[in-house]
Amino acid sequence: MRRFTLIAIPYAWLLALFLVPFLIVFKISLSDLAMAIPPYTPNLDLSTGWAGFKDFLSQLDFENFIWLTQDDLYWKAYLSSAKIAAISTILTIIVGFPIAYGMARAPEEWRATLLMLVILPFWTSFLIRVYSWMGILSQEGYLNQFLMSIGVISEPLIILNTNIAVYIGIVYTYLPFMILPIYAALEKLDESLLEAAEDLGCSRMSAFWLITVPLSKQGVIAGSFLVFIPTLGEFVIPSLLGGSKTLMIGKVLWEEFFSNRDWPVASAVAVVLLLILIIPIILFQRNEQKQREAEG
Amino acid sequence: MNKTLVTLTASVALCAMAASAEEVRVYNWSDYIDEDLLTKFEEETGIKLIYDVFDSNDVLETKMLAGNSGYDVVVPSGTFLQRQISAGAFQKLDEAQLSNKGNMWGVIEDRTAKYDPDNAYSINYMWGTTGIGVNLAKVQEALGEDAPITSLDLVFNPENMEKLADCGVHFLDAADEIIPAVLAYLGEEPDSHDTDVIAKAEAVLAGVSPYVQKFHSSEYINGLANGDICVAIGWSGDILQARDRAAEAENGVEIAYNAPSEGALMWFDQMAIPVDAPNAEAAHKFLNFIMDAENMAAASNYVYYANGNEASQPMLEEDVIGDPAIYPDAATLENLYTTSPYPPKTQRIVTRMWTKIKSGI
Amino acid sequence: MALDVFAPWDNPDAKPLIQFKNVTKRFGDFTAIDDLTVDIFESEFFALLGPSGCGKTTMMRMLAGFETPTEGTIRLAGEDIAPIPPNKRAVNMMFQSYALFPHLTIWDNIAFGLKRDRMPKGEIEARVDEMLRLTRMEQFAKRKPHQVSGGQRQRVALARSLAKAPKLLLLDEPLGALDKKLRQETQFELMDIQEKTGTTFVIVTHDQEEAMTVASRVAVMDHGKIVQVSTPDAIYETPNSTYVADFIGDVNLIQGKADPKGDKIYIAWAEGQPEIVGTPMSDFSHGQDVHFAIRPEKVSISADKPEGAANAIKGKVLDIAYLGNISTYHVELPGGQVIKAQTANNRRISRRSFTWEDDVWLSFTDTAGVLLER
Repeated sequence: MRRFTLIAIPYAWLLALFLVPFLIVFKISLSDLAMAIPPYTPNLDLSTGWAGFKDFLSQLDFENFIWLTQDDLYWKAYLSSAKIAAISTILTIIVGFPIAYGMARAPEEWRATLLMLVILPFWTSFLIRVYSWMGILSQEGYLNQFLMSIGVISEPLIILNTNIAVYIGIVYTYLPFMILPIYAALEKLDESLLEAAEDLGCSRMSAFWLITVPLSKQGVIAGSFLVFIPTLGEFVIPSLLGGSKTLMIGKVLWEEFFSNRDWPVASAVAVVLLLILIIPIILFQRNEQKQREAEG
Repeated sequence: MNKTLVTLTASVALCAMAASAEEVRVYNWSDYIDEDLLTKFEEETGIKLIYDVFDSNDVLETKMLAGNSGYDVVVPSGTFLQRQISAGAFQKLDEAQLSNKGNMWGVIEDRTAKYDPDNAYSINYMWGTTGIGVNLAKVQEALGEDAPITSLDLVFNPENMEKLADCGVHFLDAADEIIPAVLAYLGEEPDSHDTDVIAKAEAVLAGVSPYVQKFHSSEYINGLANGDICVAIGWSGDILQARDRAAEAENGVEIAYNAPSEGALMWFDQMAIPVDAPNAEAAHKFLNFIMDAENMAAASNYVYYANGNEASQPMLEEDVIGDPAIYPDAATLENLYTTSPYPPKTQRIVTRMWTKIKSGI
Repeated sequence: MALDVFAPWDNPDAKPLIQFKNVTKRFGDFTAIDDLTVDIFESEFFALLGPSGCGKTTMMRMLAGFETPTEGTIRLAGEDIAPIPPNKRAVNMMFQSYALFPHLTIWDNIAFGLKRDRMPKGEIEARVDEMLRLTRMEQFAKRKPHQVSGGQRQRVALARSLAKAPKLLLLDEPLGALDKKLRQETQFELMDIQEKTGTTFVIVTHDQEEAMTVASRVAVMDHGKIVQVSTPDAIYETPNSTYVADFIGDVNLIQGKADPKGDKIYIAWAEGQPEIVGTPMSDFSHGQDVHFAIRPEKVSISADKPEGAANAIKGKVLDIAYLGNISTYHVELPGGQVIKAQTANNRRISRRSFTWEDDVWLSFTDTAGVLLER
């Protein structure tokens, strides 16, 4: 019985906080737009009994999903989000790997402090941190002022409201999610493996490529998922730092919801986004499992 | 949309708390009141006032349609008000509790009746025009001394926009205000709901959108004031606030606002009480407090928007009542137009078009 | 018995493969290796033995190239190896942790060093197969290191370090991670492989039994210095100090004053006790401090005083450690000193002559023990 209770807790959690909300959203995605409170129809009225429920079901349809296929906006937005998420993930690896490497190779007594420094930004609100980038990147911002004062540029660079600003914002925000798993992988790496590689004829550089990189692969993969998955649906960063040409599915979803007030289509967009996300999430799970098996 | 996010987060927390009898919750536009008035209300009535802000009608409407917003007083604009009334989002005002109703200005009430017949659900808070704000020096530098700053030609003619792109142009992120302006520019009926007519506006906007740095509904205030941007299609009072901020900062930026000569959109922000307001009685007290001539004058003097309160006019400062950008003369007033909400199907086409204009897709 | 005649260290003409000459290594204030000089010859199985922190690992890491001496020179086949980086040395190392690459199969682990030398593919395959055969790991070639047992991992590590046919193979506590039975089997395997390949092995260990079993010579180290270098039997039978005597095997140490008489030395070690007679290896002066070291198996135990024994001391059985094949008796002498005596259990336990609290006589010949100055 106790065993059952223990298992039931996480499942109840999943059911209450994931499955039930998803079913609600899914149900809305099958509804029709209406000018009412709430702005869709039909609404489930349990007082009408079984007949009412059947009537309710009969009014649901997949019209909104068909609509998504009829306008190229949606698949272009999904694609563009995937592209931005993929590029951001690669950039995050490029920036995060050397940091994680440096941390893992730092003297042991420093590592706790370095880890703390990586996590420290989380103590400040995410919004405030993204806002501060607006102050840094704007045309009259600190970056341009600095570059102009040292004479690198004569005209201010236009960074804010472009995709570059979005990449900067995403890389900045999600960097810890990349650093931490890579650091965990690199820290586990036995120094004697590198010595063994050198002993067997590797230069420092080739030992890095042949030993360090393959052995931190799991960390890089884990970090990539942790960055890619939330970035795909990211809304705040592109809407604050991006320009009108930054097309991401999060913004499309916002517009469906707020500008069109079309909750059913917005829900359909969300359901499709979730389905797209489930693929990398399953891959991520598989990867984790493989790693656990490998570690025996 | 930035402030929206902050308010969204704040209001999630807010909704979690139950409203007690001694509280009234007001949801108004950002930068839209003299905050001394809020203290004054609390002192006069003993009711605790919780004041939240938004910067987009869309956000407000979504909350209204979702229901149970927890707010007692909200401030939608005319077309949004109309749609929300038809969705059953508001309760009829109880005139018995509104002793100051007589202060309201018939000229405005006649026009707001288009959205709220008999003004049964709402009172006018502020009204204004949608027009063009310019950084005089920078625009003249780009286009010469005779830059058409009073004409929509400035922002809808690609030749002008190309030259202005480098100094920064912002448009309101509001399709239902920009499209009527383009239609006015083209000499069409601004309030047209005919999708073929609206498509003409799309062509014009597609031509100038590459030169628009950002479509946003509040960033232009700071942008203009700091000199980050040189032109904005925005709301009269916001641009005037930018003008005053720049003057205060003494940063050499000189901002001017003009309602376009081709005609300008006249809009109304209306205070209304949600049908599920937790404290409707306190909400009426707040509305009555706002309709007090002295209070309304204080608000207008602070935010540089015209109000719908005739009794307040003697108490308005000269740079408010005397500024034709705020209180247009009779001739200009004739030239202003109003719009009505798009039906859902048209709304979807407009939004899609708007996305396409903004993102190129 | 080829091993018996193999003694290049006694041949003044033999050229050492490795020469440590006045090598000192300091880490900050800590001196790991203190002015150390030693020669190691080709085909030797040389053991560095000592407690942890004695400097044996540092010596090995200097040979591998992971550390450089602070002072002095190390020569490999006559060449100073200080400037040669680890990846360019004809020296390979088998790590204590084995350091097998977890992401590579056993085959690829063994081939790793060969591939770095850009050896032709066919030769690599032949060499890896040879190594797999040598270590009897043929059927595990495709497995990853975590899919085989600890003993098999140890063999893979050995195969990998031998694959490049190094002039010198370094083994850092190679059997430390194995259980006792497996360790003993593997010791013989190691010797076998060393003999087959003819490679010079330098092994670092803290296990004296292991060093004694495998090595042609053992260097006993303490605090960065080599205390004694010699063949295992010489180290055991004729330790040059109480440190070595105590470190290698079990020993009874009795301290006293020397009294040389002829070629014997009499040791006065306790009031009212007969002096111990021993045969010295070096000269002692009258009254000099002397340590008498005698292995427990060289002490006989009997109920009655043995006739004609050079040394006979009476005591009381304090404790008996029964180890199966042998028993160790802890006998308390009147002065309170405890002496260990070992006897082979060639009779059934029920027939054992002594038990706790019995009075017994301990006896040993005058050549059974060694006399040490320190």
